[in-house]
Amino acid sequence: MGNSVWKDTWLITVRNIKTTIRNPFSFIPNLIISAFFLLVYEGGLSGIAQLPTFDGANYLAFILPVSIVSAAIGGAGGAGQGIVKDIENGFFSRLLLTPASRLAIVLGPIIAGMLQLFVQTILIICIGFLLGLKVETGFLGVLFVLFIAIGWGLAFAGYSAGVALRTKNAQASQSGTLIFFPLIFLSTTFVPYELIDAQWLKIAATINPTTYIFESMRTVLIDGWIFWDMMQGVIAIVVVCALTITFAAVSAKKAVARG
Amino acid sequence: MNGRIEVEHLSKTFKKGNVQAVRDVSFEVEEGEFFAFLGPNGAGKSTTVQILTTLINATGGKALVAGHDVVKEPDEVRRYIGVALQETGVDPDLTGRELLELQARIFGFNKEGSRKRSVDLLDIVQLTEDADRRVGNYSGGMRRRLDLALTLVNEPKILFLDEPTTGLDPSNRMAIWKELRRLNEENGTTIFLTTQYLEEADSLAHRISIINRGEIVATGTPKELKSQIGNDLITLTFKTKGDLDRAEEVLTRSVGEREVIVQNSKLTIYVDDGAQEMVEIVRMLDQEEVEVDSVNLSSPTLDDIFLKITSEQQGKGGEK
Repeated sequence: MGNSVWKDTWLITVRNIKTTIRNPFSFIPNLIISAFFLLVYEGGLSGIAQLPTFDGANYLAFILPVSIVSAAIGGAGGAGQGIVKDIENGFFSRLLLTPASRLAIVLGPIIAGMLQLFVQTILIICIGFLLGLKVETGFLGVLFVLFIAIGWGLAFAGYSAGVALRTKNAQASQSGTLIFFPLIFLSTTFVPYELIDAQWLKIAATINPTTYIFESMRTVLIDGWIFWDMMQGVIAIVVVCALTITFAAVSAKKAVARG
Repeated sequence: MNGRIEVEHLSKTFKKGNVQAVRDVSFEVEEGEFFAFLGPNGAGKSTTVQILTTLINATGGKALVAGHDVVKEPDEVRRYIGVALQETGVDPDLTGRELLELQARIFGFNKEGSRKRSVDLLDIVQLTEDADRRVGNYSGGMRRRLDLALTLVNEPKILFLDEPTTGLDPSNRMAIWKELRRLNEENGTTIFLTTQYLEEADSLAHRISIINRGEIVATGTPKELKSQIGNDLITLTFKTKGDLDRAEEVLTRSVGEREVIVQNSKLTIYVDDGAQEMVEIVRMLDQEEVEVDSVNLSSPTLDDIFLKITSEQQGKGGEK
């Protein structure tokens, strides 16, 4: 009797995917908001791509990362929401009462959140192509964008799961997702760094890791394979993942601890 | 592995608010025994269940469940027990069948085995017809029954049930009682049940421990416990405080102070034969010219047992 960690993780992940699919309103609004960003910004702001700083780049390719990252952050927040829901309806305790691996109990919702993100990102890129997106680096570039989106989603899923496990409260973890706004908007969201006017926003954009995510995606979408520009996104992901996953792990340990 | 529970000097103090929820509790439950923990809200029943089922650690003492230490070998303990907590642990987005199959697979059943086990359990708790509906649409009673089925997936040697019938209507309560009796009698499953209802403990358990404010205050078979308190109780009320005081004095003199309790301007007397003694008591008070407002004869309830035991704990049968 008893399973490996992997089998437990698989069983619990599948269950989380099922519950996500059965609650379409947990991901549809997020998807609509992201598509909305893409349409509105492309429609309203694409004229600024005529500015010399843009160097003739396609504004759609410039704004696409914003839409992808907003979907990633919103979707990853779902991992935390799922955990809180389980704690509130007692299912979390039911799992703790089985010999299931404690790691699997926490990993399941996070992995399910990642997969949700993967599908969302593909959908948004498809919408981009429908609007006339051209990717400088082709198919492999799209894969790189997907990779970055998922990495950033994982970082945020760690954060949202950590908040959920710590607070065990729907309202608290909901308000934890407020970090979404500074992350998305205090950055090179609409225009390149050089065109940002306010000094404080420049400073914020420099500190905000999302800036490096945007820039690495834009590199492959607009400029081509420029190793170092791509790497800044990867480094941002590694650093932030290390922080948030540690936070999630510590919170999880507390939540399943029997103190 | 065995079906026993052995608890020695168990204590639990919650850091938050420094609450001592369980104080130096010791007891043993034999294999195949039906044992009940009877107590009011906040007595420490749920905390004890959570410790014995590996959800929280005790701050003192030791507990062996199914022959394994709950702190050192939690996974071993989890394998052999089934637990239904006070709050049901069901995911509203899955169907009853899916939940049972998932639970079975987590306990190591293969796909085919988990399917069969679910079919059997759905039948036992009479949810076959609703098996493929989402649990979110189940009634409270159906959720309880599904929760019970979930606890049985691994054919537990010991079943822990924390107030399994609180909030249920009589027909669902009866259905759960019937199933618990069957599990205990036919499968020899050891059952540890907590309840606030004397009637429930009385009708199901072989042995009862009464727990109050984290301490066990009495243990025995239902019969032993009830005989401690008397078969009937007579409750009297009076129009004036003066009459109440006079009555307490008169009755204490005649039946002994242990049996007379005054609380909330009511006077309660524990007796063996209520019908006969009621007449005598009223006659006695009449002779002393104490004016009685009302007289009531009833069987002891959990409240009465508590009132009696807690008043005894405080030394004298008087104000609580």
